[in-house]
Amino acid sequence: MALIRRCVPLFAKVVRIHPVTTQAQKIHRWVAPTLMELKRREKKVGGKKINPRNTFLEWNLEAELYAFAQRLNEDFDSDLLLQAFTDRSYVIKEEMKQKELEFDIKMKDNRELVEIGDQFINAYIQNYLEVVLPKFPMEGVKGVRKFLTSEAILANVSLHLGTKDIILAAEYPVDNFILANTFKAIVGALLDSSGEERAAHFVRDFVITQLQGQDVNEYLPIEDPWSMLTSIVKKDGTTIEPRLIGETGRNTLLACYRVGLYVDKKMVSSGFGESVAIAKEMAAREALKKIFGTEDTMKPINFKLDGIPKPTSQTRYQITAS
Amino acid sequence: MSAKHMFLKPGFVRAPLQNGIGRYVCQLQRIVLKFCKSNGASRGMRDFIEQDLVDFAKVNPGVVVYLKPRRHRGPVVVAEYLNGDRVWMSVHNKTHAEITKWIEVLRTQQGNNASTRLRKYQYTDHPSIQGPWTPFTHKLPELNTAELPNPAFGANNRLPMSATEQLRLMFEAQKLGEKSDDLKTAE
Amino acid sequence: MSAAKRVQQWATFARSWHIFDCKWQDPYESANIIKKYLMGLHKPIYHPMNDCGDVVVAINSRDIALRGDEWRTRAYFHHTGYPGGASWTLAWELHNKDPTMIIKKAVYRAMKGNLQRRHTMQRLFIYPGENVPEDVLQNVTNQIRQIRLVPTRLDQIPEEVTKTYPKVMDYPEDYVLK
Repeated sequence: MALIRRCVPLFAKVVRIHPVTTQAQKIHRWVAPTLMELKRREKKVGGKKINPRNTFLEWNLEAELYAFAQRLNEDFDSDLLLQAFTDRSYVIKEEMKQKELEFDIKMKDNRELVEIGDQFINAYIQNYLEVVLPKFPMEGVKGVRKFLTSEAILANVSLHLGTKDIILAAEYPVDNFILANTFKAIVGALLDSSGEERAAHFVRDFVITQLQGQDVNEYLPIEDPWSMLTSIVKKDGTTIEPRLIGETGRNTLLACYRVGLYVDKKMVSSGFGESVAIAKEMAAREALKKIFGTEDTMKPINFKLDGIPKPTSQTRYQITAS
Repeated sequence: MSAKHMFLKPGFVRAPLQNGIGRYVCQLQRIVLKFCKSNGASRGMRDFIEQDLVDFAKVNPGVVVYLKPRRHRGPVVVAEYLNGDRVWMSVHNKTHAEITKWIEVLRTQQGNNASTRLRKYQYTDHPSIQGPWTPFTHKLPELNTAELPNPAFGANNRLPMSATEQLRLMFEAQKLGEKSDDLKTAE
Repeated sequence: MSAAKRVQQWATFARSWHIFDCKWQDPYESANIIKKYLMGLHKPIYHPMNDCGDVVVAINSRDIALRGDEWRTRAYFHHTGYPGGASWTLAWELHNKDPTMIIKKAVYRAMKGNLQRRHTMQRLFIYPGENVPEDVLQNVTNQIRQIRLVPTRLDQIPEEVTKTYPKVMDYPEDYVLK
């Protein structure tokens, strides 16, 4: 009996369940002191030393360029692509080095490609926006285009395409200006390598889609929406009647008013505001949005137009400087 | 409460650079496989490299694969993503099949998913089509011109009809020589 | 934040002023309704941290109707904090001293006993009669419906209505009412 008792733990399978993918509830004792010591050492040196990726041992520029092109599903001429990634500062630095070593390998920089790319991007985006926002005034289209081609947006796009590691520049980490230029140079290189249509699709898929979730009306500055609205409506011969259709807490600081605009006794738009004047202005802005086809409930912008779209000659409202 | 979220960065469900709206771009930029040529812990890794690596590289031409054979070091997979995240993963003593699955996980992530705590499980750019709720949404327009307090708006209008009122309506309905459509019900 | 978004948020979180006539109403039933408006539970944007409660102006609190013999038997307890400072005040005594106290205590009791309660109670204004200050009445834009039916007093029905009201039966002309 005693023998059997002693042997049971030997025969019975001792199953210990170790949770494999759950995180440990406990933070070990040594974690905090280690992190504090690392921070102390960082401070002593004067900030974290981040080495650029192309100084690592595992780096193959040719493979990276090939992978870059394949990732974006595009065909590039390999020389043009390398040229697109070379920044002027890098060329200057290389030339200084080569003077000392008496070498002479000419590296082309990306200035011309940047110009070609910049021109193409601006022209294509202007074209696309004119087609996709047919009733929007030209100032608004220009404002949206300026936003899309701004340095911040292009630098962000460039960063998320993976150019940050491949760019050849004098100083790392690369700043936004160089990132934006690299993107324009890539578009220029694509234009030369694969043609207009492929470059157009590239710009459409990466730059114009940044409009998703943005309110287009923010880029059309209107100083006096009420007078603009009355002047538009006068041409059709009708009058707009503003009426107060709701208010809360008139004598309080948190007063809220709702003004509705009526044309022929039918409500066109309504706006809220902290005072009656603000509410009237916002209602006028809503009505203008409806006229320009960019209200909150508009159909989403079509990001799938192929080729170089042709803008139809539709009536656009002209904001003339009076 | 729990310390689980302290090393996790909070984040929302987002696609970097509106990934699906234009074309789809695989977010894995490069993958570094470090292994030992002779140690037993790297066996699964070695099997993966010998058998599945070339196919992986052919199927994903946009991912740069680096191999680092290092003696006396454990097998490690480091994945770098387009948004700058670096995911370090030890595959010590993992089998070939497990490594294949983990590499598939790394390929289909967009950055370091394991270190992100999702604050919400949905995201939308247009949370409301009819417009967000305001106190004016379901308000009766008659209240704008009413002088409050007014029994028309203050009295309970959901009470059942009293017997007197029912009788009166029956009487009005059966009146001879009177039009039945301008029946006034007391409110 | 663009002007449109700012204005939209202002409107969604705007604080409305409601008026409630307490005449002939049970304060404890009314308190359940009033507390919903004070806390913001009637709004789809409700959240306890949101500060989305509305203001309620209660009028005619002198004319509230307690049930049964509560006027005579319901006692309100108060302790000053000092020894021997306990006092039990009957409902009718309290109402005579301050006609707004009963409805105020009823609403206070209806709410959850958390730290927000005192802050929310500051949004409730109670007036014993119809006399409400001008600026408060101008803010009011909504009326909360009562729960109980206010019975019409027989001597307050206009004469034409009494004369033209349909009758089920009538006394003969030469009948003498005792």
